[in-house]
Amino acid sequence: MKTLRGLFLRLGGWFGRARREREWSAELAAHLELHIEDNLRAGMSPDQARREALLKFGGVESVKESLRDQASLAWLETILRDVRYALRGMARSPGFAVATILSLTLGLGASLAVFTVADNLLVRPLPYFDASRLVMVWESDPKINAEHNVVSPANYLDWKAQNGVFEGMAGFTQLRSAVLTDNGRAEEFGAVAVTSDFFPLLGVEPVRGRLFTKQEDRSPGGVTLISYRLWQNWFGGDEHIIGRKVQMNSFPYTIIGVLPPNFYFLDRETDIWGPLGLDPAQDYRKTSGRWMLSVGRLRPRVKIGQAQAHMTALAKRLEQAYPAFDTNWTVNIEPLRDALFQDAKTPLLVLLAAVVMLLTVACANVANLLLARYSARSREIAVRASLGAGRWRVIRQLLTESLLLGAAGGIFGVTLARWAVRGLVILAPKDLAKSAGIHVDFRIVICAIALSAFTGLLFGIAPALVTSRLDLMSALRGDSRAGSGGVGLRSWLVGAEVAMSVILVAGALLLFRSLVGLETVNPGFQPSGLLTFHVALSPARYATPRLRTQFFARAIEQLARLPGVRSVSAASCVPFSGGCAGTSVNIEGRPPAKPGEEISVSIETVMPGYFHTLGIPLVSGRDFNEFDNSDTAPYRFIVNQAFARRYMRGEQPLGKRISVWMDVQNNPFAEIIGVAADARELSLDRAPTPTVYYIHSHLSYPRMFFLVRTDSKPLALAEPARRVIQRLDAAEPLAAVRTMEDVMGENFARQRFSAWLLAGFAAVALILAGIGIYGVLAYSVTARTREFGVRAALGADSGRIIALVLKSGARPVAGGLAIGVAGAFGLAGLLKSLLFEISPHDPATFGAVPLLLAAIGLVASFLPARRAARLDPMEALRTE
Amino acid sequence: MAEKADVRQGTLALMVLKTLEALGPLHGYGIARRIEQVSGNRLALNYGTIYPALLKLEQEGSIASEWGISENNRKAKYYRLTRAGRGQLKKEERDWAQTAAIIARFLNPGESAS
Repeated sequence: MKTLRGLFLRLGGWFGRARREREWSAELAAHLELHIEDNLRAGMSPDQARREALLKFGGVESVKESLRDQASLAWLETILRDVRYALRGMARSPGFAVATILSLTLGLGASLAVFTVADNLLVRPLPYFDASRLVMVWESDPKINAEHNVVSPANYLDWKAQNGVFEGMAGFTQLRSAVLTDNGRAEEFGAVAVTSDFFPLLGVEPVRGRLFTKQEDRSPGGVTLISYRLWQNWFGGDEHIIGRKVQMNSFPYTIIGVLPPNFYFLDRETDIWGPLGLDPAQDYRKTSGRWMLSVGRLRPRVKIGQAQAHMTALAKRLEQAYPAFDTNWTVNIEPLRDALFQDAKTPLLVLLAAVVMLLTVACANVANLLLARYSARSREIAVRASLGAGRWRVIRQLLTESLLLGAAGGIFGVTLARWAVRGLVILAPKDLAKSAGIHVDFRIVICAIALSAFTGLLFGIAPALVTSRLDLMSALRGDSRAGSGGVGLRSWLVGAEVAMSVILVAGALLLFRSLVGLETVNPGFQPSGLLTFHVALSPARYATPRLRTQFFARAIEQLARLPGVRSVSAASCVPFSGGCAGTSVNIEGRPPAKPGEEISVSIETVMPGYFHTLGIPLVSGRDFNEFDNSDTAPYRFIVNQAFARRYMRGEQPLGKRISVWMDVQNNPFAEIIGVAADARELSLDRAPTPTVYYIHSHLSYPRMFFLVRTDSKPLALAEPARRVIQRLDAAEPLAAVRTMEDVMGENFARQRFSAWLLAGFAAVALILAGIGIYGVLAYSVTARTREFGVRAALGADSGRIIALVLKSGARPVAGGLAIGVAGAFGLAGLLKSLLFEISPHDPATFGAVPLLLAAIGLVASFLPARRAARLDPMEALRTE
Repeated sequence: MAEKADVRQGTLALMVLKTLEALGPLHGYGIARRIEQVSGNRLALNYGTIYPALLKLEQEGSIASEWGISENNRKAKYYRLTRAGRGQLKKEERDWAQTAAIIARFLNPGESAS
């Protein structure tokens, strides 16, 4: 308090300076007058009185000086002077300033950007009550690599009733879509159905209206909750939204509540939340497979491992009780946060590690530059010291400079980070950035300021201490050995830079080679010139399979007549748009598979012409035709090569009869009429799965993906296609209109994102390492000018001098290379899940990287070496 | 005459405060004079040094100043103790007594019975 008051008075004093000076003069004059009068009264002569008073006072000017010091902010002025001096120094050697600030900007900018994204995704609390206790409860069959499998309602209900580790459990469905119709508008939105205990379990309260009741859970239908976004955007924030009647998939619904604005669960695309009816009295093992998801809240103080052990035991009991249904199936418990950001976690951790390395390189570089600069200034500093500057004063001057550089780097770094975050979010794969609203926030800026101040201090103080302890005499003499104590430290720094660069470059190269591998992988179909979109028919208005088949057949027929269209078809799922349905198959003539050894396949429903339109060749047999696409036609199947390879054991599949467990009642054995070539349907980096294709009339989906092949630009067909569907049925909107190439691009967006980012980091690290090597050698050449002069005078030719310099540069580079390669080898495992058909210890990569670094080291050392070789011996000897 | 002692750092402020407490509002010259007298002329005090000390105390709010007329009709700046200054003085007196006692124990270790 006292100091603060003093500070303000002093700051004030800094302004009213002239007035204060006048007052002091008056006060001191009065003092002297009083003293003189006293002296006169004591009997002194006027001269003596005056002399005695002045003597006793002790120097009016020096008193005024200390008053001034006391009144104004002496330290502030010193700082300003230091700052001015530092700025002038930087202006005199702009290369140094630019290199330092650039290093800091790049290092800080990149790290802040990645920290921001990581903070948003990995650290920030989820919008649920006590989210750390929430877990996803999956079914898991490790034998078929299904560790995150959807759940059977029967198992869910048993878990819920019998477990002793969860405070509560709730069920919900995967993201589906629903067509919302209101006053003649129709649009498709993401929809999820949940049990009535879902929102209470998460601790989410509606901002308007209410949640589902137990009653509504038992007899679902008729009521729905909507997202805040839908309320604001589609209903214009209508205050009378509660009780509003709308149509969903042509069924009447009443809106009963609006969820809070920040609420999301698993994805951000869900706008409609309906009730999911589950009746505990029903035996779902008889009527349905695995299709739902479940979330649980752990009891307080129950560890995830305990819960896992408990649930595994419970699953074991269920497996014994229901061998036909549950053989090999167990439970997998996963923290909710991991489930939300599962795919984003690894790339983010890789980026975090990369960015820490980049920051290290940047800091090492800055330290290096500062050391070089202080060494070069050792003489100037010695002069200051010998003129009476205290050690602390010298340190303070040097620190001011490094703090200034740190501050500049910090400011530019934050600016860069703000851009970079925007770029990251645009560039990032959707699932990485789905946590909308990532931005550089206050905490990050604070963190940046702290980081840059810390960098400035840390890398300013070490050189400052080294330099301020200079041996004055030798420094003044210009002895070039003085002040070169930093060379050892600087070699270490260069070594560290090289090591980090090797790791970054190796990582970037591995990712890039994977990316190239992915982009050249043959997907098994022709992605260019394909437009896709889907239409989800209302189950109310298209209640029978026949009506749906008719609609899709007519749509395909009319789309095919559009100019420029070569062929059209549709399927229940298209490549890279999420998984297809899956089930098990029996092959006629073979005994039914034992539980746990089923022939499991992907199921896809197609319209005639699917294989032709996608460009998937039929290896043998024929495609479905329109006669197959009738509910009175016999069942027929097409399988892919993966199916034939895996399950037919070299037998000819054509003519074999299979039965697919798709329907509870009606799964007739039917003939395989064709074998299609394999296509990578899930993602490019996964091998094709065994697949059985149905014709639409026998397995009718209300939602089908259209595929339109054209010779021209696919997107030019989007509008004509929309008009065709509108003409057929105005109430059925098109959704997800995209080209197949875009769909595929998103598929390896993550790899591309990581590869480019890491490549950027690696490039920056390379540049910085180059600067570092150059800096050290350039300085040592300057410092050893005289030595080289002597050598040249004694007959050393330029080649030998070049070799001498190169050799001194080679040591830190070689050391750094060795450490870097070892480090990269160790850390490459981290990248494993991001790599495609390339080993994390790919020999080509690990051969190329050291060569690249060595080449850069050579170039960076050659420049100073050549300078040393070109020294004129006479000139060199005369220096200093 | 005994050797004169330098004014120890920090003690001048205490002397100023104590003087103002004893004599009420006073100008700089008066304060310096009084301090010298109280010390029995054993303090080597340049009167000038009193002014930075006064400024500092004023900045800290322990004393306040205003222009007034001296006993012999001169315009002079008068300093007086503020309420905060009184508190400050109490505290410094206590601290000083404590410090002095501690130092005394060091200087005369034989007397430290406890």
